[in-house]
Amino acid sequence: MAGTENVSQLSSCNDARAMIVRAKEEGIETVWDRLAAQEPQCGYCSLGVSCRNCSMGPCRVDPFGEGPQKGVCGADADIIVARNLGRTIAAGAAAHSDHGRDILEVFGELAEGATSGYELRDKVKLEALAEEWGIEVEGRDSQEIALELADAMMEDFGSRKTCLGFSDRLPHERRELWAKLGITPRGIDRESVEMLHRTHMGVDNDYVNTLLHGLRTSLSDGWGGSMVATELSDVMFGTPKPNTSKINLGTLRAECVNIALHGHNPLLSDVIMQAAEDQELVALAKEKGAEGINLVGLCCTGNELQMRTGIPMAGNHLMQELVILTGALDAMVVDYQCIMPAVTDVAKCFHTEVISTADKAKFTGATHISFDPHRGYEIGKQIVRKGIEAYTNRNPERVRIPEGTVEMMAGFSVEAILGALGGTPEPLVEAIKAGKIRGAVGVVGCNNPKVQQDLGHVTLTKRLIENDILVLVTGCSAVANGKAGLMMPAAAEMAGPGLKEVCESLGIPPVLHMGSCVDNTRILTLAAALANYLGTDIDKLPLAGAAPEWYSEKAVSIGAYVVASGIYTVLGVQPAIFGSPNVVNLLAAGLEDVVGAKFAVEADPEKAALLIRRHIETKREGLGLPFVEAAKIAAEAA
Amino acid sequence: MKTIFVNPERCVGCRQCEFACAVEHSASRDPAQAVFESPPPRSRIHVMPGRWYNTSFPNRCRHCNPAPCQQVCPTAAITRDAEHDLVMTDAGKCIACAMCAMVCPFDAVTFHEAANGGPARVVALKCDGCLERIAAGQPPACVEACKSGALVYGELNELIAEGRAREASVVLTSAVASQSASTRPPDHVLGWRAWGTTATELNEGVHHGRH
Repeated sequence: MAGTENVSQLSSCNDARAMIVRAKEEGIETVWDRLAAQEPQCGYCSLGVSCRNCSMGPCRVDPFGEGPQKGVCGADADIIVARNLGRTIAAGAAAHSDHGRDILEVFGELAEGATSGYELRDKVKLEALAEEWGIEVEGRDSQEIALELADAMMEDFGSRKTCLGFSDRLPHERRELWAKLGITPRGIDRESVEMLHRTHMGVDNDYVNTLLHGLRTSLSDGWGGSMVATELSDVMFGTPKPNTSKINLGTLRAECVNIALHGHNPLLSDVIMQAAEDQELVALAKEKGAEGINLVGLCCTGNELQMRTGIPMAGNHLMQELVILTGALDAMVVDYQCIMPAVTDVAKCFHTEVISTADKAKFTGATHISFDPHRGYEIGKQIVRKGIEAYTNRNPERVRIPEGTVEMMAGFSVEAILGALGGTPEPLVEAIKAGKIRGAVGVVGCNNPKVQQDLGHVTLTKRLIENDILVLVTGCSAVANGKAGLMMPAAAEMAGPGLKEVCESLGIPPVLHMGSCVDNTRILTLAAALANYLGTDIDKLPLAGAAPEWYSEKAVSIGAYVVASGIYTVLGVQPAIFGSPNVVNLLAAGLEDVVGAKFAVEADPEKAALLIRRHIETKREGLGLPFVEAAKIAAEAA
Repeated sequence: MKTIFVNPERCVGCRQCEFACAVEHSASRDPAQAVFESPPPRSRIHVMPGRWYNTSFPNRCRHCNPAPCQQVCPTAAITRDAEHDLVMTDAGKCIACAMCAMVCPFDAVTFHEAANGGPARVVALKCDGCLERIAAGQPPACVEACKSGALVYGELNELIAEGRAREASVVLTSAVASQSASTRPPDHVLGWRAWGTTATELNEGVHHGRH
């Protein structure tokens, strides 16, 4: 297989390397082979200067100036790049928000008593949310409250509102700024739909205007759809609390029926978890010769489970084919998002049963078991039974599970962090003021085969904690840092002296698992709470975001809402905008004067760490806190 | 003789070869940085639309032998690399008189400042066969970028033999239908351009079954 000759360059994880070698030996194609076959990738598309929005086209602008400089309609590179970026944000926001809606719909039906396998596990959070949304709590039962909250949140998806329900979490200054710029998100679905409208030929032909709406669209995700997903998942499945579990491919157990839960939405995986404990099914598994049923997580479904119940994590995005290559995976149950169509091809080389469950996400070569929350528990059992049946087809001679697991701590919801701090952000603020913690950075986002797997996440995170910067992680980054051993309290040893002291006194790791990728909203909520506590705006705080290995449209939406919320963000993979120097200048410089934050693109995580450290010290200076001259950090790089 | 061979019927007009060529001949050889370079890097391969809808032809220096451009260059800036059988230009000697372009049967020579070194003035630019890449065992940049098989690199006779079987029927048809179109190379330089035009048209027609 082309592209796997130098396995150590493809992944920094030993479990992944072992499986890539196996794929090579057995001629099984993986993501790295497909990337090699695509290279060099389309130059016009990489730079964002190709447009296929209409059939006067497709068109592309010659970035070297010799060929056409305008599409048939007259759109130049600026307009084409802005249109494409706008649509990317809309797709990402739509993915998160549709996930949020799915949770909300089941939440609403749960309130009506129409579901099976669900309950309101965190009633304290339910009441807190209800109060936040102006819903009467006193003397009412939970279902009544939930019903009214569901209705109120449904309204946020439509077009009858002028701002979103969660916007009260924001500092007043930020809300004023968005209103002034005309980027206050009005409805969760509305902004994505409007973006598709604007990027139709002949609508928004001003790239700045398009991109401003891009920010609004992303905000409808971050402070809307994703936030609904996070908050209601907590109510239904429990607000995460710190717990310790295991991670990497070694979590698969040769003696058990292994079922991987892959995707993003916890609705289904929660009932499967219940079904896996069903006595009848456990007995069936034993009857077939297994010792039991072993559930493992993959990607963000894995994060959702791990942070709430401690179910072990098999791996992140680039592990999804490799987990099948262990030969020990009996079923891969998928919901949606980031599930490569290739998993069914790899599964064909083994006994693994791929089970799709969302009617909006079917896979050729998979068995489809349509998920219905009204019969949640029953369907959960049906799926687990399917996994047990597949186990009987397993060939023990083909089982090659890389040995060893790593321990990691997950489950740092905002509530858990504030709990650890004694119920108030004050100790954190004091540690930041004193300089023990210089600032906090969200290292988030995906894996991308263009980057050595997990190297970007882990290198950047290590450099930040070494320099007393608290790191908050979600999604694939959480998995990467967990595997690297950075997410146990003992990892405080790897932190700078100030952060180490704080971590040791609280018994927490220097890298905090805040959840799945919709849970980036937890970081927003925390940032807003800190700003409110200090009576300032988010952009004044010593915070930053980073997505060292991002790949997905959702990540673009996340990056945009983080920046629009006032947090500087460094991307490790180049977005498709470089064909328009004007758009690049706006996003990497001009936005600073608009929303108080901007983007940077830096492929080298070592350099990204320097950029972030400089930024954090500059913000500390702005707040009148002890700071290090940014120029000194720059000099260190030279 | 190894060369870049064109299968025009497979060209989808995506212009990836142009992009890859420009990047290969940039100072940075990195697509993200190349777009910001001054002078801008220039492609030496040009995809031109055919006469029929959705047809196109990636046109580049054919490294003729004898090469008319080499014959007419007054400063001996054009030479032949014997090892790789490539027609090479020496930017330092080029006086941008454009004699080479005037006699080129394929209009494959353009005039720009080179982005990857050389004098800070306009000189003749054309395909250099990606000499550095092939010396390092890599295919030329345009061939690597071509995902449809319109551009292939290999031993000329082997590539022709591959196509021979595939296109036998088309060739037989065209040979009968186009007897009147002479493709004999001219005896004098003056006739080269006209000959190139005829050959290109015939080629395009043959591959689309219209002769």
